[in-house]
Amino acid sequence: MARFLVRRLIGAIAVLFAISVLVFLIFNVVPATNPAQRIAGKNATPQLIKNVEEEWGFNKSLPAQYWTQMKLIFTGKVVSYNSHINIDKRILEGIPATASLCIGAAIIWLSFGILFGYLSAIRAGGLTDRVLTVVALIGISMPVFWLASILLYYFTYKIELFPPSGYKPLSEPREWFSHLILPWITLAVLFVGFYSRVLRSSMLDVMNEDYVRTARAKGLSSRRVMTRHVLRNSLIPIVTLFGLDFGAVIGGGAIVTEYMFNIEGVGLFTAEALKQQDFPSIMAVAIFGAFFIVLFNTLVDVAYAYLDPRIRLGTAAA
Amino acid sequence: MPPEFDNPGTGAPVPTGAGAPEAGLGLEADGTRIIAADGGDGRQGAGPWTIAWRRLRRDKMALFALTVFLLIVACCLLAPVWANHVAHTGPNTTHTLEKLHEGSETKEVVEPSGKAIGPQFFAAGGRFFLGADGHLGRDEMVRLLYGGRASLFIGITAAVITTILAVVLGLLAGYYGGWADAIISRALDVIWSFPVVLLGIALGIALAVGGLQIGPIHLKSSSLWIPTLIIGFVTTPYMARPLRGEVLGLREKEFIEAAVAQGASAWRIMFVELLPNMVSTIIVFFTLNIANNMLLEATLSFLGAGVQPPNSSWGTMISEGFEALYSQPILTIIPGTAILLTVLSVNVFGDGLRDALDPKSKVRYEARAGTTAAEPEGV
Amino acid sequence: MKKLPFFILVAAIAAVLAVGLAACGGGSGSTSPTTSEGGGGGAESEGKEGGTLKGAYTSFPDYMDPQISYTAEGWTAMRPVYIPLITYKHASGEEGAEIIPGLAKELPKVTNGGKTYTLFLRSGLKYSNGEPIKAGDFKYAVERCFLTNSGGSPFYTDIVGAEQFAKTKKGGISGIKVNEKTGEIVINLVKPRGTFNNELALMFVAPIPQKTPAEDQSAHPIPASGPYMITKSQPGSGWEYERNPYWAKDNGKQMPEIPSGHVNKIEIQILRNQSTQVNEIESGQLNWIFDPPPTDRYQEVKEKFEGTQFREEPTISTYYFWMNMKTEPFSNQKVREAVNYAIDPAALERIYTGQIKGTQQILPPGMPGYQKFELFPHNMKKAKELIAESGIKDKEITVWTDSESPNNDAGTYYAGVLKELGFNVELKILNPDNYFTVIGNTSTPNLDTGFSDWFEDYPHPNDFFDILLNGESIQSTNNQNFSQTNIPPLNEKISKLAGEQLGPQQEKEYAGLDKEFMEKAVWAPYGTRTLSLFVSENINLETAIWNPTFETELTSLEFKE
Repeated sequence: MARFLVRRLIGAIAVLFAISVLVFLIFNVVPATNPAQRIAGKNATPQLIKNVEEEWGFNKSLPAQYWTQMKLIFTGKVVSYNSHINIDKRILEGIPATASLCIGAAIIWLSFGILFGYLSAIRAGGLTDRVLTVVALIGISMPVFWLASILLYYFTYKIELFPPSGYKPLSEPREWFSHLILPWITLAVLFVGFYSRVLRSSMLDVMNEDYVRTARAKGLSSRRVMTRHVLRNSLIPIVTLFGLDFGAVIGGGAIVTEYMFNIEGVGLFTAEALKQQDFPSIMAVAIFGAFFIVLFNTLVDVAYAYLDPRIRLGTAAA
Repeated sequence: MPPEFDNPGTGAPVPTGAGAPEAGLGLEADGTRIIAADGGDGRQGAGPWTIAWRRLRRDKMALFALTVFLLIVACCLLAPVWANHVAHTGPNTTHTLEKLHEGSETKEVVEPSGKAIGPQFFAAGGRFFLGADGHLGRDEMVRLLYGGRASLFIGITAAVITTILAVVLGLLAGYYGGWADAIISRALDVIWSFPVVLLGIALGIALAVGGLQIGPIHLKSSSLWIPTLIIGFVTTPYMARPLRGEVLGLREKEFIEAAVAQGASAWRIMFVELLPNMVSTIIVFFTLNIANNMLLEATLSFLGAGVQPPNSSWGTMISEGFEALYSQPILTIIPGTAILLTVLSVNVFGDGLRDALDPKSKVRYEARAGTTAAEPEGV
Repeated sequence: MKKLPFFILVAAIAAVLAVGLAACGGGSGSTSPTTSEGGGGGAESEGKEGGTLKGAYTSFPDYMDPQISYTAEGWTAMRPVYIPLITYKHASGEEGAEIIPGLAKELPKVTNGGKTYTLFLRSGLKYSNGEPIKAGDFKYAVERCFLTNSGGSPFYTDIVGAEQFAKTKKGGISGIKVNEKTGEIVINLVKPRGTFNNELALMFVAPIPQKTPAEDQSAHPIPASGPYMITKSQPGSGWEYERNPYWAKDNGKQMPEIPSGHVNKIEIQILRNQSTQVNEIESGQLNWIFDPPPTDRYQEVKEKFEGTQFREEPTISTYYFWMNMKTEPFSNQKVREAVNYAIDPAALERIYTGQIKGTQQILPPGMPGYQKFELFPHNMKKAKELIAESGIKDKEITVWTDSESPNNDAGTYYAGVLKELGFNVELKILNPDNYFTVIGNTSTPNLDTGFSDWFEDYPHPNDFFDILLNGESIQSTNNQNFSQTNIPPLNEKISKLAGEQLGPQQEKEYAGLDKEFMEKAVWAPYGTRTLSLFVSENINLETAIWNPTFETELTSLEFKE
């Protein structure tokens, strides 16, 4: 197990490194603009631009620039080209908002996903199943930002049921909650649709397993069989998916939701950095996001390895 | 995990490759795929494709969805007809100061306040059927139809690109194993670990100024091919990884071993023996990938990194509509509904297709922009 | 297995959804009424002193540091905090362009053929931390501009020794001599500079304590010399002011022309959603917002609150389409004239929902030297004739604009006009943060024509002509002369005027220059921007001052009785 862990860890670090290089290349090799000119302002003289280039190290070689950039990011000294604020600090400040959004949404999508999937499966083929299937498919067929716009329009402007947008810290619980309801729903809808589909098919698989048939034959009540045996065993793929999805959402999947609802988390910061092409910020958030995705990927793998020794030994994973 | 079971109500047999003579050989060896035993509709002797088709034909909902989708495609293809013969305007033609005469009534296309005219349907002979699109007074219906062309083009073409890349990478990695597998898998890991939206936007923005130079071909920054290539590229791992897993499974099969023993070339084994056995998976993936791509296109365009204005796509239209969300929500609702209907029809059809081709639901594909999860590695 | 009409279900749900959405969308006209019964109240409210003013910005200013900030956001915010030696009058309209003494006793004495400026610092002035303000602090402020590579430093490169200092950053600027005893400050210039008073009145050279580090102090407010001091500043989220205790005691008495402000505290927060800002002004949670209401809600706000809580305010700015005169087709004057005739300022006014006023000249209203004329009234027929005469056909051109609404729409409109004139147009829309860097780099391919705007740095016509139209100021990067206009006799005129102090004669000459450039149709100008002041019901709109350079004067805002 230890060897497996080490191997996964090295892999994870290598992936993070590759991602940082990739982002760096996208913004430094693809001809965009000279950041020095932007920093120097509209009346800049050539001398001023030269000074700025020296100050920020734009005149150095690419590997040297990469190295400086990474050093700044990991020592907490990296500063935005646009707003001149400390990026690491800004990311840290954004974590509570992002975490509030993601955890709340995760609770919603897990509970409703499981509920819908369960109802769908036990009534497979029936009306409930069909309605839920359509609902689930509609859920996964909507652009997130569109759903957000529609919710914003109807629930904050047309009928002022919820406060417009923004984020209030957890220290004001009521405000916190009312500001987050719409974002939670927006972020959760896709997953509810998807998880209920996955759970449905997974439950249908399990329902035809021999032991379930046996349990039924033994005369156990249908509900008991369903919850005790079927549901429990069908949750394995859900747990896996949840690990991956949660990592992805924390690591950048919530960009659009935060952007639409002006939740000042990491995602909104990412969206702004992208819009302004603020290279150091993009670099930092890409590493931040990838870190969570890699982390949760690894956790899922480790969990699997724990359950299934074949993977650990590399026969199945190859 | 995979049990021997099939969906209630649908037949069982799983295609193991159209016309693959070895089909019978590999079946039992794979725990995941069991030959049709129950009655259902899988009559003995019928080819797997025939059975799948029979099953699909009975799935009214999937067929209905397919019809809707084809209708939408047809409408979008007819965009120039509508533009020239009904609306008499182009998708990018502005009508800011124009007035519209409807009988005795005269309406301004754009009011001095900047508010655009609402849907007129046929009141003005089909002009401004769905109203105008904002300050510029462009015909919303014409833009919707042309925008649909762009969105569908990107969705479908990117899915083709993804499929080709994923099949080639999946086959190479799965068949050769070793170094080839290590390199391909790690590369896929990198893209996989990258928040999709972030990667897509980063690429889109970087290419928005200068366009893209691939060898002798220069793509203008306004070219539809740029978002198409980006989307095709970033969604590849979500298809390549499961395909690789499938190849790994198939490689152990006797019919492959037999082919190897007969001295078949690697090329032949990959494309003649393995590929046909993966066709059903690929088809399902391809379909759902279209839905996913259309959503991703919308997201990228919404954030300014997809289709470049003034050209319309459904994503750019929502983005433009969003500017006027509070005064004219209909400009957001119209293109959004178009995306919803299209993607929904693809998803419903894809769902039916999966049931028909592969009732084991081995393929789990998440059709959504942003994050996509498939089976974790090694499962 | 029976398949019930499953598809009917899908159809039904989808239809209900679509119809529901469409139906709700239809009745969008009515807006949510937030109870605010006709603000003014009629009675001549005297206004009261004290209270806490709550304001909002959409984004944090570029810097909260007087030497480095180079945006309207920063200047509005720091205007009541850092006072230069001489300053712009706290007044609306043209009066606001007048320069009055600030920390200096009088306006500078200009001698030596316009090359020497002499001022005297008032005595007994103190910073908000109690330390005395010294003459050397001014010198350090100028040096700090260069040390921090401030975007404002180019305004001061004509000071003797400044260019050298910009390179070496050592040894101080020799052209500034101060006498701490008498408070005398003597500035020597390399050549006469007619705009120098305007530049001395900018925040860049407002004195600050000499121990202030030569790096961005946005998060560590520098002690104030004005009526307010910044007590807390958190880049990205907001900042707060309190009264400067030394203002009433010392500084204020000596500078009666600089208002002391009415409220005791000001709190500014960053609120990204502009629609929320509007809601919060309506509900009274906010008293003032820096940015105008979003385009989407502009008309709604204007209709509801104009005169009571809302006022449109002019800016000294010109919005225009530049045309690269170096290359075909815009090297041809006929084509440029045609473009001017083809563009309809009325359409653009509508595209900007009334937030620009149509003009067809370089200098905007409010700028000294502005004299209204209109050489190219909209005439599409004439435009097409001119194009036909020019003999240019089917030419491929690229139109550039930024993605900020409605500039993107203006660019789209412009591309449509050019298409109508017979060009093959490709439109490029870039994000506003690097738009000007891209089009300011002359090596960028296909720089044919596009959108630009210019807001004055200070009310002096040279700030338009020298930077935007002088052929000598074309640079390979950070270029501002987007049309690449290079007309030698006009260059000479600009340079000659640049060395002279602005008087009635000069204003007349600038007006002539304006016309001469437009006769050559170097730009296709289309408007001047209006911004707006929007305050809560309990703020006195009548006494609020809008300075054309510094926008809202925070010191003029007061609560109603």
